Amino acid sequence: MTAVAVGTNRIDPYLIPALDGVAYGLLVFVAASGLVLCFGVANILNLAHGLLYAIGGYTAAALLDGGWASLALALAVGVLAAAAAGVLLAGLLTPVATGSHLSQALLTFGVALAGGSLLVAGFGPDDPQVQVPATLEGSVMVAGHRYAAYRLVFIVVAAVLAAALYLVVRRTRAGMLVRAAVDDPEMVACLGVSPARIRAGVLAAAGALAGAAGVLGAPIIGPGTDTADTVLLLSLVVVVLGGLGSMAGTLLAALAIGEIQTLGVALLPAAAPFLLFAAMAAVLAARARGLAVRWRTA
Amino acid sequence: MPLTTPWRSRALTAALLAAVLTTGTACGDDAPGPSAGGSIKIGLLASLSGTYQAVGTEIRDGFQLYLDTHDGKLGGRQVDLIVADEGNGAQTAVPAATKLLKQDRVSALTGIVGGGSVAGVTPVLNETKVPLVGSNGRPELKDVSRIWHTSYLSDEPGAAIAQHVRDNVKGSVYAIGPDYQGGWDELRGFTDAFSKIGGKLANADGKTTFTPFPATTNFLPYFARIKASGAAAVYTFYAGSAAVDFVKQYAQSEIKDIPLYAAGFLTEGGVLNAQGDAARDIYSVLNYSPDLDNAENRAFVAAWKAKHDGSPTTYALASYDAAAVLDRAIGAAGSDPTPEAINTAIGQLGQIASPRGTWQFSTTTHSPVQKWYLRQVRQDGRALSNTVVGDLATVGR
Repeated sequence: MTAVAVGTNRIDPYLIPALDGVAYGLLVFVAASGLVLCFGVANILNLAHGLLYAIGGYTAAALLDGGWASLALALAVGVLAAAAAGVLLAGLLTPVATGSHLSQALLTFGVALAGGSLLVAGFGPDDPQVQVPATLEGSVMVAGHRYAAYRLVFIVVAAVLAAALYLVVRRTRAGMLVRAAVDDPEMVACLGVSPARIRAGVLAAAGALAGAAGVLGAPIIGPGTDTADTVLLLSLVVVVLGGLGSMAGTLLAALAIGEIQTLGVALLPAAAPFLLFAAMAAVLAARARGLAVRWRTA
Repeated sequence: MPLTTPWRSRALTAALLAAVLTTGTACGDDAPGPSAGGSIKIGLLASLSGTYQAVGTEIRDGFQLYLDTHDGKLGGRQVDLIVADEGNGAQTAVPAATKLLKQDRVSALTGIVGGGSVAGVTPVLNETKVPLVGSNGRPELKDVSRIWHTSYLSDEPGAAIAQHVRDNVKGSVYAIGPDYQGGWDELRGFTDAFSKIGGKLANADGKTTFTPFPATTNFLPYFARIKASGAAAVYTFYAGSAAVDFVKQYAQSEIKDIPLYAAGFLTEGGVLNAQGDAARDIYSVLNYSPDLDNAENRAFVAAWKAKHDGSPTTYALASYDAAAVLDRAIGAAGSDPTPEAINTAIGQLGQIASPRGTWQFSTTTHSPVQKWYLRQVRQDGRALSNTVVGDLATVGR
C-alpha cells in the first residue's frame, strides 16, 4: 500500500470512477438513444420508454442462467419483445400521433403504469437476480484496482452498438428516410412513404435499442419496480443535455451523465443529490438547444 | 402546418417531465368487507403496490398466517380483516386509513410499512381514538398513547451491533447510508453508540456519508472513497433495490475484502435472492432470524413454509406478532372490546412469547424491548440464508 507513488495518489482514487463513468454513460446512451429517435424523428413523446428497458431487464433476469447461450437467447428475446411492445405503442399512438405532446404523454404514461404493474404481477415485486455468464461474474485488475469484469466487457459491446447505430442512421436507406422525416415530413409522405410506417419502424427500433440496453445493462441498472422510472428520467435528461436528432450530441450527453454520476460523485459527494440536475439546468440556461447542434443545421 | 414542435418547447417538456418524475407517482385502492355479528373488525394497511410492495405483502401474509393458524379468531372473536393499500407513502396511506377508520370503523389498525405513513395516519387515529399496532415503520412521535409497534426503533439495530464491531474490527469503520429519515436514524444509532465506546469512523470528516435516495444506483464512486479512507470495516444500512445494487457492486469492487456489517434489512427477504452469491459472508444485525431455536419459531417457520416459498422475514414476523398482541389484548378487553379497551389491554400485556424470543412493550416508546442477533449470510442447503452466529445486546427504552 505504501509502495504506491505519492505523485499518483491524487488521481489514483478517481481512476475507477472515471472508467465506470464510461460504462454507465454508454449504457445510458444505448437506453436513451431510442427515446431521442422517437422524440426527435417521429416527434412522439414516449413516456413508456423506461418500460421498454424494463422488459429487456426482466427478460434477462428470467432467461440468464450463467451460460453464454442464455445470454444470446435473452438478448434475442429481449430485443424482440421490446420491439414488439414498441410497435404496439405505435398502434396505440395512431389517434394522437399528430396531436399535442400532452395527449401523447398521458397515453404513454398510462401504458407505462399499466405495463409496469403487469411486469410486477408477472415477475413478482422483488428485484430478480441477474446471472451473467460465469466468466464475466468476477472482477479484474485495472491499473492496480479491482473492477467488475462485466462492466469492462460492456464498455466494448456498447461502443460497438453505438458505432453500428451511427452507421445505420448515416449510411442506410432506412436511416436516410428517418433523417428525411425529420427535415421534411410532408415531402416524405408525398414520396409515398407512409408516416405511420415510419412511426412504427422508429418505435420498433427504439424498443429494440431499449430492449438490448435492458438485457445487457441488467447487471448495471437491474430490473425492479423503479427501473422504468430511473431509465426514463435518465433518458429525458439526455434529451435535455444532448438535444434531438444528433447521435453525437446524445453520446456526449450520455457520457457526461455517466461521468457526473460517478466521477462527479466521487469528487463532490456532498453535491451528489443535485449534480445531475444542476448540470441540466446549466445547459438549459446557457444553451437551450443542448450540447450539440442538430444534424439539420450541421 | 408544421408537423414538428420547435426544439425549444420539446426541451422544456422533457425538463419538466424529468422534474415531475423525480417526485414519483403512486396509486392505491381498497377493498371494503362485510361485517357479521359477534365478530371484530381489524384494519390492515400495507404497501400492496409501489416500491415497498415486497415488504407490504410480507406484512399482510404474516398477519393472515396468524389468523389461519388460530381459526380466524383473535381474542375468541371471529375477525373481519379489512386490507387496504398504503401505496408509496402518506399521500396514499392517509386516505386509505381514513376509510378504514371512519367508514369501516375498525376496532384496531395494524401494518403500515413507511414511517412517513404512520406519521400521516396518527392524527386520524387520535381523532377516532383507535389503537395502531404497527408492524414496521416507526417515525419520531411525541404522543404514543395509542401507537404500539411490534417492530423496532430505527436507531436500535446500529446501537445493538456497535459493541461487537468495536470488539472485532481492528481499525476505523466507514459509515455509509441512504439520505432520508430512515437512513439517518439507522446510521445515527450505530455512530452514536460506536463513538461512545471509543470507536473511530474512517469517513474523511468523521461524519457518515449519505447517498442520495432513491437516485443512487451506482455505488462505485463511494467505494473509491472508502478504499482511499483506509477503513478496516464498513457499516451500512440499505433496503430494497438499493440494497441489491450496493451488495452486488460491493462484491465486485476493489473493497470486496473489507468486512461489511449492516442493519439486517440489507440482506433480508427477497433482496437476498437478488443479491445471490454477492451477499455471502455479510454480517448483519436483526431482531429475528428464521433459524432461531425455540418452539414458537419452529411452529411459525413450519406454518409459513407450508404456504409460501422460502423462509419468513422480520417483516412477516412483526405482523404475526401484531396479530398475537391483538389476540391477547382483545381477549383481555372483556365482553365489549371497544378500541379504548383494547388500547388499555395492550398496555397491560407484559411479556409476549414470540418466534423471535420473549419481548415486551417499552412503557415509554411503546416499541419492543427485545434481543438482537448477529447473523451472517451462509449457505443453507441450496439457498443462501441469514444464519444466527451470536446474540447481541437487548435494546429498548
